[in-house]
Amino acid sequence: MKPFGLVFFPAFDWAISPTHPEREERLLYTRDQIVEEGLLDMPGIREYKPRLAGLGDAERVHIGVPDIASLITEAHLVSAGGAITAAEAVVRGEVERAFALVRPPGHHAMRVVHGTRGFCTINIEAVMVEYLRRHHGLRRVAIVDTDVHHGDGTQDIFYHDPDTLFISFHQDGRTLYPGSGFTDEAGSPPALGTTLNLPLPPGTTDEGLHYVLDNLILPVLDDFKPDIVINSAGQDNHYSDPLANMAITAQGYASLAAKLKADVAVLEGGYSIEDALPYVNTGIILAMAGLDYSRVVEPDNAAAPRGLPDRTRAYLKDLVATQSSLWHSRERLGREAAARAGDWWARRRGIYYDDSGINEQQVERLRLCPRCRGYLTVASEAEGHHCGYKSAFAACLPRGVCRECRRDARDTVLTAKRQGKYGYYFIQDKDNDTLERV
Amino acid sequence: MLLGIDVGGTFTDAVVVKGNKVLAQAKTPTTHDDLLAGILAALDRVLAGTGVAGLRRVALSTTIVTNAVVENKLDKVGLFLLPGPGMDISPLVPERPYILTGYIDHRGRETAAPAEDEVAAACRELAGRDVFAVAGKFAVRNPAHEQTVAGWLRARTKPAHITLGAAVAGSLNFWRRANSAYYNAAVWRPFSRFARAVQAAVAERGISAPVYILKADGGTMPLAAAGERPVEAVFTGPAASVLGIMALEAPQGEAVSIDIGGTSTDIALWRDGAPLFAERGAAIGAYPTAVRAFWLHSIGIGGDSCVRRAGGRIIVGPERRGPAMAAGGPAPTVADAMIVAGAADFGDKAKAVEAMRLTAAGGETPQAAADAVLAAAADAIHTAITQMIEARAAEPVYRVEDIVRDRRPRPALLVGVGGAAAGLAPLVADRLGIAHRVPAGAMVANAVGAAVARPTVEVTLRADTAQGYYTVAELGVRAALSARRFALADAGELAARHLAERAAAAGIPVADVETVYAEEFNLVRGFSTIGKIITCRLQIKPGVFVGEGA
Repeated sequence: MKPFGLVFFPAFDWAISPTHPEREERLLYTRDQIVEEGLLDMPGIREYKPRLAGLGDAERVHIGVPDIASLITEAHLVSAGGAITAAEAVVRGEVERAFALVRPPGHHAMRVVHGTRGFCTINIEAVMVEYLRRHHGLRRVAIVDTDVHHGDGTQDIFYHDPDTLFISFHQDGRTLYPGSGFTDEAGSPPALGTTLNLPLPPGTTDEGLHYVLDNLILPVLDDFKPDIVINSAGQDNHYSDPLANMAITAQGYASLAAKLKADVAVLEGGYSIEDALPYVNTGIILAMAGLDYSRVVEPDNAAAPRGLPDRTRAYLKDLVATQSSLWHSRERLGREAAARAGDWWARRRGIYYDDSGINEQQVERLRLCPRCRGYLTVASEAEGHHCGYKSAFAACLPRGVCRECRRDARDTVLTAKRQGKYGYYFIQDKDNDTLERV
Repeated sequence: MLLGIDVGGTFTDAVVVKGNKVLAQAKTPTTHDDLLAGILAALDRVLAGTGVAGLRRVALSTTIVTNAVVENKLDKVGLFLLPGPGMDISPLVPERPYILTGYIDHRGRETAAPAEDEVAAACRELAGRDVFAVAGKFAVRNPAHEQTVAGWLRARTKPAHITLGAAVAGSLNFWRRANSAYYNAAVWRPFSRFARAVQAAVAERGISAPVYILKADGGTMPLAAAGERPVEAVFTGPAASVLGIMALEAPQGEAVSIDIGGTSTDIALWRDGAPLFAERGAAIGAYPTAVRAFWLHSIGIGGDSCVRRAGGRIIVGPERRGPAMAAGGPAPTVADAMIVAGAADFGDKAKAVEAMRLTAAGGETPQAAADAVLAAAADAIHTAITQMIEARAAEPVYRVEDIVRDRRPRPALLVGVGGAAAGLAPLVADRLGIAHRVPAGAMVANAVGAAVARPTVEVTLRADTAQGYYTVAELGVRAALSARRFALADAGELAARHLAERAAAAGIPVADVETVYAEEFNLVRGFSTIGKIITCRLQIKPGVFVGEGA
């Protein structure tokens, strides 16, 4: 049997600010636990040094305003590079599965980036996925986000991509940052149903989580038949997490990892750095490596809530039914939504960058093209205390874009530039692997 | 005068060194069944010329511990583990362990107490055993449980020896400490017996100089002090030769050394005049341990490696069928090629030429065949060096700065020692595109290394200022921190005091102290900093006596 790959990068010299949850100390106790357990010496576990991702890898996904280089630190390129290293070890067949236990995290970073939100600046899973598509020819990708916060950045990046199935369970957005991830966020018409949100009530236990996993997530994954399964492995559903209100244990997370059998897991959030992370990470590593994880139990595990109240059970049953029905009717629903939209599908959103103190207003317009997936235009205006006002207009050309859409997209950007309403103009071209500043 | 003895697989070498000069050397066959006999034979022979009068120290690099492990002449050990929650390592240790209740967490806090009745029950089953090893998870952050269990064992049995995991190594890695503790206990009796015999034999010869033993990390320990940590004397042969290189050549900057012996070549990488360490420790058989050792890569190519052709290509080693044909051996060897190429001069040259004629492909002269053999051997060593450099570059690091900064070793000098160094070192250096040196005395570098290796000792201090205590695992110390403001520099000073204390207890002079590792983290709770977690490891640097020394 092939070994399990681990990319461990705790970024011991990097913090958003000295007392921020994303600080040097975050993975200290996790390091202590996995080194003390001897996990890095196990014959079935192979540790990899993360590579440094290139700016081009980030720009394959992101449009930074004014540019991505000025918004990130080297740490971001290491954590994105760590995810790529893990995935490449799997794709090359060196390891059976891999876990990028890296920071800083990425799942709140969206396509357009003005700053840092939800501790994230570039989306490390998305950078990894697009790298795999570019360099290893993968197409169908499933991402299961098990962080307590809705993976709104990952959702945003793949919202129009029917080749990427994005499933996120998280504490209900009415009670937690970022306040999104409701069941009606299901993808734009060409990709309807390949975004599946599962908002869970605060206090959900292992039992509730595994109900959703067994009855919805695993069957949908089977049905989608992805080339690769990615787990955005946030650990803040833990009962001791200080930033959320869920009740999952290390055993709950480890058995989730064992059932999910993700090809690549990438660490996201998790801020109970002493009481949860050492045990959850050990559990996930053992489970993914196919080793016995049954003894990985938090010392204060007796304090963890258990069971599944009837009200929650009823809610979860409804949720699974709703999302199953969406999944099974997604093609018809997509056609109906496209018919309603006509030639263009559009949405207008406000996006808040909590770490950078920036408010962004964004208008997305997706061309519903009969010949290809259609191009997307994004008009973005951002205002913040530190960054002042900045704006950008971009067109994004998907893989396999048709000639007409390619031409129209360029014309649209050039026209916008002539009108001069925005500060920066971009064309992101997936087929040519370029981000052009117009 | 310093006397060094290295017990090798075939020969036991002895040298007497004064300043940088080898005054006398002797070679006797290694006596595997009775190591001491061969050691004393070499000792007597080398001292025949110099006498014992000016002798300041006798240092031994011996295979006593390695042999005990390899030949499984190990004591039965009562092994007790306190693993707490986490991975089950019971199937991964060399002896069936007794698993005890009790847990110390990553901050050194007790989250479950050990149970005396479990130890009592185990003692009933273990009647007859009198050496024990106790290892607890995170005991390096709080040795209380290991010490408590040892106390219960003493109260119930008459232990000859108990090894505590935290005392054999101060760094994290419970699995490695458990293995180390087990082997330390398992070789304690054979080592002690050997040490007593050596002391007696040395005294009989009127030698009053102290006897030291070489450790795998290239340091020496007074024989008496080594009795508590015999496992550290495992695999000292390669360490002796690395120390010898340090004494004979002292490569500065970045370098690579090759010790080409009879059947193998040991490769080490150097930085700033010191060889790189295997960061986590050496493996004993299939069991990784926390025993500090130089980072060496060994490949099966040496002077006696047999040479053959397969599909037109020359294959060198790894097997040895006997000595060179020039020395009466049965098959062509690398040494025969060296004789023909003019890089060595011993034995019957006609037989060496005959060996190369047997190796030559159709129409090739023996000289051409010899060149081809040496090229093939050099290629293999070159490949191994390159792999080692790659492995170093690929070693995980945990700081952004260390990723961004390229840490790939770039050796600028190759140092060759051992019997076949003269013939192969220039060829390997050529392939690396760097200079090379084969120092005088290269043939007995191993014994020289033992002779001049300095005593070393290390301590690991970890302070948790939020909880107000610190530990020094190797000393079993857990004490309160008095200073309110305590930072890395304070930790370094405190560690230096404990290092001096440990050195004094072992009779070791304190010199050339270096910080091997240091880290400092702020502890933040609820958006304010409530303390620091500091770890620093200090050691008396392995090295060699320059000039008279000792």
